[in-house]
Amino acid sequence: MANRALNPGMIDKRSVRRQKLDRMRRYRFIYVLMIPVLVYFLVFSYYPMALGIFNSFREIQLLGNARFVGLENYRTIFSSPVYSQAFVNTLIVGVGTFILQFFWGLLLALFLNELRHKLSRSFYQTVSYIPNLLSWSVVGSIWITLLAPNGLINGILDWIIGDGYRPIVFMSERSLARGIMIFTGAWKGAGYYAALFLAAVVSINPTLYEAASIDGASRMQQIVNITVPSLMPTIKIITMLGVMGMLRNFDQIFVMQNSSILDQVRNLLYLIYTEGIVQFKIGPASAAACIVLLATMIISFTVRKLIGYDQGD
Amino acid sequence: MKKNTTGIRHRNELNYPQKAVMYLFLLLVGVIMFLPMWNVIVVSTTTALEASRSGVHLWWREFSIEGFRYVFEVTKLARPFLNSLFVTTVGTVIQVLLASFAGYVLIQRDLPFKNGITSFIMLTMMIPGDLTMISIYQLNRDLGLLNSYTGLILNGLIAGSSILLMRNYFKSISYTLAESARIDGASELRIFAGIFLPISLPGLATVFFMDFVSRWNSITIPAAILTDESMYTLPLKLKAMILSTSSVSGTAQIPENAIMAAIVITAVPLLLIYVFAQKFLLSGLNLGATKE
Repeated sequence: MANRALNPGMIDKRSVRRQKLDRMRRYRFIYVLMIPVLVYFLVFSYYPMALGIFNSFREIQLLGNARFVGLENYRTIFSSPVYSQAFVNTLIVGVGTFILQFFWGLLLALFLNELRHKLSRSFYQTVSYIPNLLSWSVVGSIWITLLAPNGLINGILDWIIGDGYRPIVFMSERSLARGIMIFTGAWKGAGYYAALFLAAVVSINPTLYEAASIDGASRMQQIVNITVPSLMPTIKIITMLGVMGMLRNFDQIFVMQNSSILDQVRNLLYLIYTEGIVQFKIGPASAAACIVLLATMIISFTVRKLIGYDQGD
Repeated sequence: MKKNTTGIRHRNELNYPQKAVMYLFLLLVGVIMFLPMWNVIVVSTTTALEASRSGVHLWWREFSIEGFRYVFEVTKLARPFLNSLFVTTVGTVIQVLLASFAGYVLIQRDLPFKNGITSFIMLTMMIPGDLTMISIYQLNRDLGLLNSYTGLILNGLIAGSSILLMRNYFKSISYTLAESARIDGASELRIFAGIFLPISLPGLATVFFMDFVSRWNSITIPAAILTDESMYTLPLKLKAMILSTSSVSGTAQIPENAIMAAIVITAVPLLLIYVFAQKFLLSGLNLGATKE
């Protein structure tokens, strides 16, 4: 086994090939292990991807044969007001959720780091992390119920305002719809960001703070000049994760939409789902999915460059 | 740092206005995070009549488990619960097995075609499953997997991220251990199952719990391939339940204590994991967010 690499000059092509075959024979078992995984990826990952791209150039009817239509599906998408509305909704809710969730998570992590009381720290870590663990159907159902006319929010408002308060039907209020999606999105995700930030805060070298406090820096100055700069790598990672997920928020809207606010909240993925699977317009829906994929890649790439994600630290 | 000399201790605390802002923020966040969950617990364990009363429900006026009885007797939540439990457990166990196989393959030093196999796996992580939803639907239809347990288990059976996690775990184990076992004539199966798997139990647990959570919560795949209500998993059932309630229309068909009970039932397995396997979840979370 070890003599193989000793005299590289003497190895001619044929013996290289023989050794490769030898190694392949030796690793027989290893290759067998790999087969189910490779087959799975081929069938459930690569094939659907290729099929999606292929279908985006075709018109598929429920009955009869599919035919090739070139870029027509793409033209349909770009000229469709429903799709452009969905694009606007996706962006507003996506960006809004990201920004709120980012600052919510960051502030929570910074303040929790100042909190010396251990029990309250773990209380905060637990209550803020749990929603992230739950599915959107749980979180969505919780908030739909809280926001119902006889729910907790109306109850609190009634208690504050008192007599003559008329309950707001939050979930059918068009002007509030996007705000509710942004808020509930951040409510679910802030604890995750806080956990990532907190893990980074804890690993900051304590001597930095000691040195700063000997030099007379206040705690606030320490936070601004030591903690926050040390979080830059985490901030970059979170931004990348956020941007990549921004256009792909299906679960929340699937659970929380209803007919009265659909125009305000229906996003691209949910529209693709209803068009493609429920209404069977496979061609245009596949074209839209390809556009979202391309857009995600372009945006990720741009943000990657903008924040200098690949440059070290 | 906490053990600083008392002389400079005051500098290591925020001043009072700053502290006031901090406590105000924490109070607000605490209330916003905690009250909704507390409300779920209280409403789920009260009577339907009490649950439908408008107002603030943050303590029991009447304690009752009729909501739980309702979801099992009337809403028939046992079926979706068992559906979820079955497909999640089976799928997750297979995921752990396959991820450890593939992860083991990727650490072999001079395996022919290793780089090709690695990029083949890594590339799948760039293909977002939710964007190929329509083709996934067509594929499942053509394979006869719509409305089937096989379909629910097969989709998402293995993820590139789990493979990478296992690979990184195996990498931390000394490879010379395998080499010397190989020289001693141990079979590959023995090396894998006898040396690598036992040392990697924490890694296997991390993959298990991460995948359990994401499968238990999965909405996209069930929404795409299920139409038969008897096949519904918990998230779909919960969504169907909430659709038929008062949030929009104003008339409740399913009492709110029952909805809240269903929420509790859906959340409990994940909360148990959080309580007993938090370590693995958090290590997975940090691995998921490290730069490759």
